[in-house]
Amino acid sequence: MEINVDPAQSPSWLQRVLIGRNPKRTLVRIVVLVAVSFVVFTFVLLPIRVEGGSMLPTYRDRSVNFVNRLAYLFHEPRRGDVVAIGLEAGNHIMFMKRIVGLPGETVAFHQGHLYINGKLLDEPYVKLRGNWEHEPEPVGLDEYYVVGDNRDMAQEGHVQGRPKRERIVGKVLL
Amino acid sequence: MNKWLSRIVLVGALLALGFWGWITFFPSPEKVIRRRLGELAKAGSFSANESLPAKAWHLNSLGEFFTPDVQVTLDVPGLQQTFTGRGELQGAAGYARSVVGSLSIEFPDIKVTLAPDHASAVVNLTAKGKVPGQKDFYLQELRLRLIKIKRDWIINQVETVRTLS
Repeated sequence: MEINVDPAQSPSWLQRVLIGRNPKRTLVRIVVLVAVSFVVFTFVLLPIRVEGGSMLPTYRDRSVNFVNRLAYLFHEPRRGDVVAIGLEAGNHIMFMKRIVGLPGETVAFHQGHLYINGKLLDEPYVKLRGNWEHEPEPVGLDEYYVVGDNRDMAQEGHVQGRPKRERIVGKVLL
Repeated sequence: MNKWLSRIVLVGALLALGFWGWITFFPSPEKVIRRRLGELAKAGSFSANESLPAKAWHLNSLGEFFTPDVQVTLDVPGLQQTFTGRGELQGAAGYARSVVGSLSIEFPDIKVTLAPDHASAVVNLTAKGKVPGQKDFYLQELRLRLIKIKRDWIINQVETVRTLS
């Protein structure tokens, strides 16, 4: 069986490259792709750009990453997780920190080392360590203690603390 | 059929125009507050090459955003201070200008909670300050109380919010 295609009716190679043989099907594909991208990158994987050096050397300034908003759907945040923490007014700017203290624990720093309930915590991810001192601080039952990996910066200039669980937007993916 | 269609299109266009006019000329209080805070961010930003009269004008215009008895409470690492009154606030802003040189302020997130009588509002916002040439930016959560005086929303109270606590 032979099919004769009228050269005048068949789309040019440029048209085929740009919109395919069937423009209707291409349009449907584009709509689906846009819809899926919108849903994924709004509700599941939030694209973020890291700014600042509080998570050095694990995350470099100006690097791009994603926040998995579904990471804590079936379990609660765990120690060592790097999370994005939203602010009261919204999520256009978030903090990226590591969870070191769990609800009910006591967190302290002595000579730059982290102590949980009085016991030294091994932190292989900390490559830059200063001489931080912080009195033992109890973590509330609905809170997590978070801090950055860069402990070499001035303690006063390093945001750390006990956000409530509801402020944790998700887990940093990469 | 064509006549009906054109009538429907005309009515739709008129409704859209009316809606646009309504939200433009009678904006919601929340929208007015957001616009006002955007203007505040602009008024609070400054560059190093500003002339002396421009500096004075900017400081004066900054005062218009606040009530004469405004109270500003700062509680950030290394600084705990309270300013009372527009004059003290403008003095502090002038001092900050002389120390920092230039600063760009943005409010990327603004959450407005209106009082039931729509005469006052509490605003939580994220303030982002960037000094040109510096790698890091400053981030501060603020809670503002605004009151409506005539048709203007004026800031009556400002306090810093301790982030992550």
